[in-house]
Amino acid sequence: MRFRTTIDNVPTFFRIIQSIEKLQKKCIIKFTETNMHLICNSDTNEGGIQVWSQIKVESIFSGYRIQSNASNEITVALFSEALLAALRSASSSTTGALSSFEAEEVVMKLAKKSDQAVLSFEITGMTRVGRRVKVTHDVKIEVMKPSDVERLNEPMCPEPDTHILLPPLQKLRTIVDRLRPMSNVLGVRANNNGCLQFSIHTESVKVDTEWKGCTNPKMARENASQQEDPPSDPDEMFSVLVSIRSFIKFLHSHVVSTTTIACICQNHCMILYVYIGDVADAGGVLTFYIPAMLDDDG
Amino acid sequence: MLPVLKASVHDVRYFVTLLRGVNFVNRATITVTERGFIAVVEEARTLLGTAYIFSDVFDEYEYNSESPGSTQDSADDEDNAAFEVPLNTLIECLNIFGTAGGTNYNASGGGRHNRWKKVGDNDDGDDGDDDDGGRGKIQQFFGGSSEKRTGMRMSYAGAGYPLTLLLAEDSTGPTTTCEISTYDAEPHLELPFDLEKMVLKVILKSEWLRDALSELDPSCEKLTFIGNPPPTGDPSQPRQKQKANSRVSLKPMLRIKATGTFGSTEMDYPNDRDVLETFDCAQSISFSYRFAHISRTLRALQSSTKTSLRIDDEGLLSLQFLMPSPSPKQGKKDEGPAAFIEFRCLALDDDQLNVKLYV
Repeated sequence: MRFRTTIDNVPTFFRIIQSIEKLQKKCIIKFTETNMHLICNSDTNEGGIQVWSQIKVESIFSGYRIQSNASNEITVALFSEALLAALRSASSSTTGALSSFEAEEVVMKLAKKSDQAVLSFEITGMTRVGRRVKVTHDVKIEVMKPSDVERLNEPMCPEPDTHILLPPLQKLRTIVDRLRPMSNVLGVRANNNGCLQFSIHTESVKVDTEWKGCTNPKMARENASQQEDPPSDPDEMFSVLVSIRSFIKFLHSHVVSTTTIACICQNHCMILYVYIGDVADAGGVLTFYIPAMLDDDG
Repeated sequence: MLPVLKASVHDVRYFVTLLRGVNFVNRATITVTERGFIAVVEEARTLLGTAYIFSDVFDEYEYNSESPGSTQDSADDEDNAAFEVPLNTLIECLNIFGTAGGTNYNASGGGRHNRWKKVGDNDDGDDGDDDDGGRGKIQQFFGGSSEKRTGMRMSYAGAGYPLTLLLAEDSTGPTTTCEISTYDAEPHLELPFDLEKMVLKVILKSEWLRDALSELDPSCEKLTFIGNPPPTGDPSQPRQKQKANSRVSLKPMLRIKATGTFGSTEMDYPNDRDVLETFDCAQSISFSYRFAHISRTLRALQSSTKTSLRIDDEGLLSLQFLMPSPSPKQGKKDEGPAAFIEFRCLALDDDQLNVKLYV
């Protein structure tokens, strides 16, 4: 089992981890020959939120080499906080004046140190006075058995009723932050005519925030052929109730997002595609699944 | 039927500042009259906070009496409509877009808000797709909020109906509709302040009081206001000279004393017209209040310009804070009095006895 790569785009990697770090302590990363998959699928997550993401190797790494008996895939489980700390140190040259040196090259590789499998981050750089430094962070990992990896399955969802482009997530976050103390449940409604609503409804208050003129992207679906039923009324609203706390956890991804598409499967779940980088070059996408709350206990 | 209340304003910040000043208990009684809007909160049957928000705070203000004709004529007992609302919810709703302005005392919420704004800042820079990103960034850098202001339209249809708010930043952005449940107004504490029985009256710049109170440790339990008549002398004598005398005399004109488990703090105000604009005190007095209650007034004190502090012979404290309008409207200025917030607080009982002995 061999794995070694140079991290070219440390800031993006850092932000991706930052946006999922709040979700659960441990996350799973699956490296394949072409993609890096970040998975947070713990059942114990707040409101049952899950993340399944897919990031193209070339959008973050270069000199990427991977080899394993499991069709050249390596799946590891690690503490996202530890990974974040290693990346923070590696990205310090871009994020601010905290560091005393400028990172020039960051290499991530699989290693074994005193019988413990680690992801080793070797950061080489130059101090301000021109001395070369080398900093190594070892992040403890657990390499997952192929049989366990097989058992990882993305949640099954029906064909979404509507796809809608979300407004900038920072703006959304301001609003949802205000709603949070008032309610535990957030109602999300959207139609295929550019209308999006976020609402709470409790005994003491009812708040509805509405956007008009959002974009409903056309989604290319593999099973589009079976679209026989007549197109539904574009003004029909589809709604889902989600835990407001898990929605806020999703909103942490505003640090990495450029475009976010929300899909509503009425009364079933909400799927959020957070695109990393430009949608056009599709460097990667973080997919958040937030299951619907069925009993409206306000 | 006409709604009881209809009001609108293009920028909610001033309105929110006034409401925040009394936001120490969640349930507030709102009384709507022809002249404006009064929000009353009480705590522990001891402290009463009242925000007087006159109709000129709003761009539009319309009040329609629910009981036509009956009380319209009597000028004394002003016709009104009263209801209770969760005040915190009302403020959160008004600040839904985060542009209702914050106060320094809202440290926990404000801090968090700023932190993520900075993160968002970086984001903007990387995307480079935001046209006015540059201007927004510099605003955020200096800790101010963005250019945008929340506009509001508020209405209340009458007893049993919710208080409805329609909020928006601009025509292109989102709109928020809030329906806040209203409850029947319960009779609240009445603490009438009788001017005849007033024993101490001080008017001073709010910052003088704010600086004093903010010095105090939050662990203090009791706050005592001590007043002594100004040193006697020829009233025509210039004050400067009196000041010199007062330094020798042991009795300060106005002393604030805070007592807690770990000790006590005393602060004296000088006999200087620059500090104490008005000082009326006929005999020595000393009344104590629970510090926790006095600290409830800090948020209002913070945003006020002038403070009037009065105490009657029973120790009832009245603190009035003049709340300046951030942008005085042209021509509208003399239409009504400036909005203010008043707190009334009962003195601690054991001290009342002490005072009787002391006096």
